[in-house]
Amino acid sequence: MTEIDDHTLIPGLGRQLLDSSLNDAALMQLTEATPDYTILPWVNVVKIGGQSIMDRGRTAVYPLVEEIVANLGRHKMILGTGAGTRARHIYSLAIDLGLPTGVLTVLGTAVAWQNAQMLHYLLARHGIPFVEPEGFGTLPHYLMAWNAVVCQGMPPYKLWEPNPVKGRIPPQRTDTGCFLIAEVFGARKMIYVKDEDGLYTADPKKDPGSNYIPRISVQELLARDLDDLIVERAVLEFMVRARHIREIQFVNGLKPGQLTAALDGEPVGTIIYQDGGAK
Amino acid sequence: MSLDRPGAQHVQSRLMRESLVDKNLLARTESQVSAILPDANVIQIGGRSIMDRGRSALLPLLDEIVANQPQHQMIIGVGAGVRSRHIFSIGLDLGLPTGALAALSAKDSAQNAYMVSCLLAKHGFVYLEAPFVVQLLPAMLAAARGAVFNGIPPYSLWEHPPSVGKLPPHGSDAGSYLIGEVFGARSIIFLKDVDGLYTADPKTDSHAELIPDIRVEELLRRKLPTLPIEPSVLELLTRAKLARSVRIVNGLVPGNLSRALAGESVGTVIRE
Repeated sequence: MTEIDDHTLIPGLGRQLLDSSLNDAALMQLTEATPDYTILPWVNVVKIGGQSIMDRGRTAVYPLVEEIVANLGRHKMILGTGAGTRARHIYSLAIDLGLPTGVLTVLGTAVAWQNAQMLHYLLARHGIPFVEPEGFGTLPHYLMAWNAVVCQGMPPYKLWEPNPVKGRIPPQRTDTGCFLIAEVFGARKMIYVKDEDGLYTADPKKDPGSNYIPRISVQELLARDLDDLIVERAVLEFMVRARHIREIQFVNGLKPGQLTAALDGEPVGTIIYQDGGAK
Repeated sequence: MSLDRPGAQHVQSRLMRESLVDKNLLARTESQVSAILPDANVIQIGGRSIMDRGRSALLPLLDEIVANQPQHQMIIGVGAGVRSRHIFSIGLDLGLPTGALAALSAKDSAQNAYMVSCLLAKHGFVYLEAPFVVQLLPAMLAAARGAVFNGIPPYSLWEHPPSVGKLPPHGSDAGSYLIGEVFGARSIIFLKDVDGLYTADPKTDSHAELIPDIRVEELLRRKLPTLPIEPSVLELLTRAKLARSVRIVNGLVPGNLSRALAGESVGTVIRE
């Protein structure tokens, strides 16, 4: 019924793509060697924490907004937001009601969306738009014209969110959504703005003997199999497979200048890097 | 990581101030899930295996769907097929990332799903884009006992990087499974052009034998080089809360869909 001319196919791989099953392990391996083009190599993805920043209100958000504005002429930024305490409330309510993980994702997305709207209102006078996932085609224009856009951090999986290995909380939330934006566009940097100086061997707020970790490879961090982490596990799992993003950086958004330093390429906070570089 | 944030304003809840990354906390969220649409059946029509064959394959299948409309609610997911193979070929050559390939491919399955909905329109079936699946599906099932959706999940630019290579790991099999799981569907049936799962590829190996019933752990252990469904479905099945099995049947054989809907053992069932 359906045929495609050979001349519209890339040599070798194109014919294989038509003739083999896409589930064929050998075909998947062949696609490994294809080239990588970076779509937005100059953009920085900055994730603003929900519980760690937005839920603190003006004391945390206003100085950070000022710092973002001060960087507008110097760096281009996709600003994604986390969800925070209202997401925790609706997750516990929805779990109690017996609702599945996909529904929790729909609900949690609304919270990240609210935080993104609030951040957008504070940045609106500088021309910075809020962009829904469906509107991402307009990103290059806004980034060129106004240097930043605001989006909600959740990936747009809606009811299609896969179940977690354990429990009911959606495994791919705003850390992951922002990471995937950075990876697909081949971003210059992926910076997470939270309320800690970075990664510690234990929770520094509970354990005074905990040690600060300025730099660690994702492979080593995964091997340590810590009970708790500074970032969603899915980010670390995807980072191992990433073709563009070689490192992610965590800075304290409560300390003025940390975001700027990270944007300028300074090793502030904690950097988690891919051992051996990206694929 | 940090649990106590004195500066933050909190809403009272069991998860208040908790790290949602903490393994112990995540384990505590394990509890009963209710099925939202327990009477609905998810039926996936393969892109390459059914749609690309045109009327000879599709029209008898749609007649069978209509014949089952009085007894069964059917949510019909549709796959992409050969046009996606072509755009993967071009996209890979251009160096585009997995998320871009996923965004492009989802348009091919949307076209196929829209054609299916046109052919079923006189029976009340409509095509629902992802936001409408979220909001309108129950109304459509109540009105027409069926609806058509895009089998490829709406991951778009946010598609997961695959463990090997660059092809999007979540196609229309994964998307259809996830819809079955989230709604707690009665059954998930994949309509393909093979009789089910074989010990080897039946198209190239005449000694291949049909596997009528297998557990997903056993199937993962066998590490078969080619499967009739996306490998990501197997991984999703290991984490099932409600949709604990899927069935693969030959959609080119008249009566197979009806038998599968009636709960008869046809094709291959893969169980959690």
